[in-house]
Amino acid sequence: MTIPQPPVKLKGVGDSLWITMDASLPAETLKQELCKPFERLRHLAVNARVVLDPGESQADDALIEDLRAFLQQRFQVGRVSGPPKARITPAADGQKAAETGNNAQNAWLHHSDDTLVIAGRVRSGQKVEARKHLVILGDLNPGAEAIAGGDIIILGSLLGTAAAGQPANENAIVLGLDLRPTQIQIAGYVAAGASSSSGKKPEFASLKDNQIVMADYLKDNIFKRLAWPEIR
Amino acid sequence: MDGKVIVVTSGKGGVGKTTVTASIGAALAIQGKRVAVVDMDIGLRNLDVVMGLENRIVFNVVDVVQKKCKLKQAAIKDRKIDNLFLIPASQSDDKSIIKPENMVWLCNKLRREYDFALLDCPAGIEQGFKNAIEAADEALVVCTPEVSSVRDADRVIGLLYAHSITPKLIVNRIVPKLVEKGDMLSHVDVVDVLSIDLVGLVEMDDAVVVSSNTGNPIVQQKDSKAGKAFNRIAMRLDGHPDLPVEDPMAHDSFWKKIGKKLGRKKQE
Repeated sequence: MTIPQPPVKLKGVGDSLWITMDASLPAETLKQELCKPFERLRHLAVNARVVLDPGESQADDALIEDLRAFLQQRFQVGRVSGPPKARITPAADGQKAAETGNNAQNAWLHHSDDTLVIAGRVRSGQKVEARKHLVILGDLNPGAEAIAGGDIIILGSLLGTAAAGQPANENAIVLGLDLRPTQIQIAGYVAAGASSSSGKKPEFASLKDNQIVMADYLKDNIFKRLAWPEIR
Repeated sequence: MDGKVIVVTSGKGGVGKTTVTASIGAALAIQGKRVAVVDMDIGLRNLDVVMGLENRIVFNVVDVVQKKCKLKQAAIKDRKIDNLFLIPASQSDDKSIIKPENMVWLCNKLRREYDFALLDCPAGIEQGFKNAIEAADEALVVCTPEVSSVRDADRVIGLLYAHSITPKLIVNRIVPKLVEKGDMLSHVDVVDVLSIDLVGLVEMDDAVVVSSNTGNPIVQQKDSKAGKAFNRIAMRLDGHPDLPVEDPMAHDSFWKKIGKKLGRKKQE
C-alpha cells in the first residue's frame, strides 16, 4: 500500500522554510497548493527565506522563477532560492555503495571535512584552532594551545594545552607520540597534566566514565575493536 | 662594510640579559671590533652600573633619538677596553618615548659607526621589546634552565620569527651538579623545546656577581668559566660560527670519572 505524496510539503530547516514539491504538476496547481500552508503561516512567511526543492522531479528555472515571483508578491517572503546543488555522497554513488554494502572501502573517496593538518612547532603564546580534527606534524610547546572540534593528533611532543571535542564531542581523543600535556580538555571535562607517564611513547587521552584517562596507544588502542574502518 | 645590530632578549626578567650584553660586548671589543652596547631598558637602566660607567653619563639614547645630541656624544668609552662604547638608557623617561621608526634610524646610524651594536632589550614583550627588535639584524635569546624561563623564551622566539629574525640561543646559569642530580633541566631539554641554533652554554659562576658589582668585565678574568664561555660566544658571532659549543657537563676528566665509579669522593 502506498500513501499518496502531497504535492507540496513545507518544513523548517535552519533559518529557512524548505518546500518539497512535485514539479511535474502544472504551475497553477502548485501555486494553489502553496497557498494552503502559507495562508496558515502568513505571519511567519514575511521576510522568511524559502528554498524550493523539486525533489527527484525535474524543475526548470522558469518554474522556480515563476513561483518565486508569486510567493514574494503574495506572501512578502524574503529570498527564494532554487534547489541546492546535489552533493555527491557515498550513497549517491549508487552501484558501488550497493556492491560494497557497509564495507567502508570507498566511503572516504567522496569525503571531505574541516580537518586541519599543520607542520611545525607551535610555540608558547600561539594558538591553533580547527573546526574538526587537528593534526600537527611537530611539537606543541608548553604555553601553546591546540583547540579542535574533533580529535587532536600530535605527531611529536605534546607539552602544552590541548582541548579536543569542543564544545561537546565526548568521543574525541587527544593523541601524542610523547604525551606530557600541561592540561587536556575533552568536551567539557578538564584534566591537569599530572601524568604518571614519562612520555616518549605514543599515548592517548579519552573520556571514560566522565573522567579523562590516558592510555598507551599501542596497547589499548580503542579503535582496534571496530569491525571496519569508519570515518571519524 | 656595515656593522651588525644584535638584540639580546629573553622575555623573562632576571635571566642575565644585561650581563650577557656587557660580557659579549667586552669580548668582541677585546677581539678588536668596534662595539657599542645600547641599553634599551628605558626607565630602568642598569647596563651602565654593570659596566661601572654610571658616573659618566651625560647624554642618553633618548637624547640621540630626539636629536638633542649626536650619537658620538652619547657613546661613553669603556674605562679599560678601547673599542667598547656604552649608549645608556634614560632613567626618567618611559619606553613609549621611542617609536619603532626612531629605532630604524638609530640602528642605521649604529651600523655605520660600529662593527657590532648589542641592544640590551627590556624584559617583557611590550613596547620596549618591540622597539628593540624593530630594526635588529640578529637576536640572541638568553634562557636559564628553568621551566618559566623556557616558556617565556619560547614566546619571544615565536615573536622574533614573526618579525623575520632568526634567533640564536644562549643557555645561561647552568649548574652542572644540579643537572647531574636531575634537579635542573639540562641544556639538551631546553634546546629540544626551543629548537633553535645554540651559540653558547654558560655555567653558573659566582665571579659574575662580583664582576657586575665592581664593573670589571668577566671576560677579562682568565679563570672564570663564564668568562671563557662568553669569549667563545663572541668568537662564534664574529666569523667562527663553527667553533664547537663546550658542554659544561663534560668538565669532568677521564680520571675523575673513573674515581667516581670507584666510589671516591671528588676532591675540590
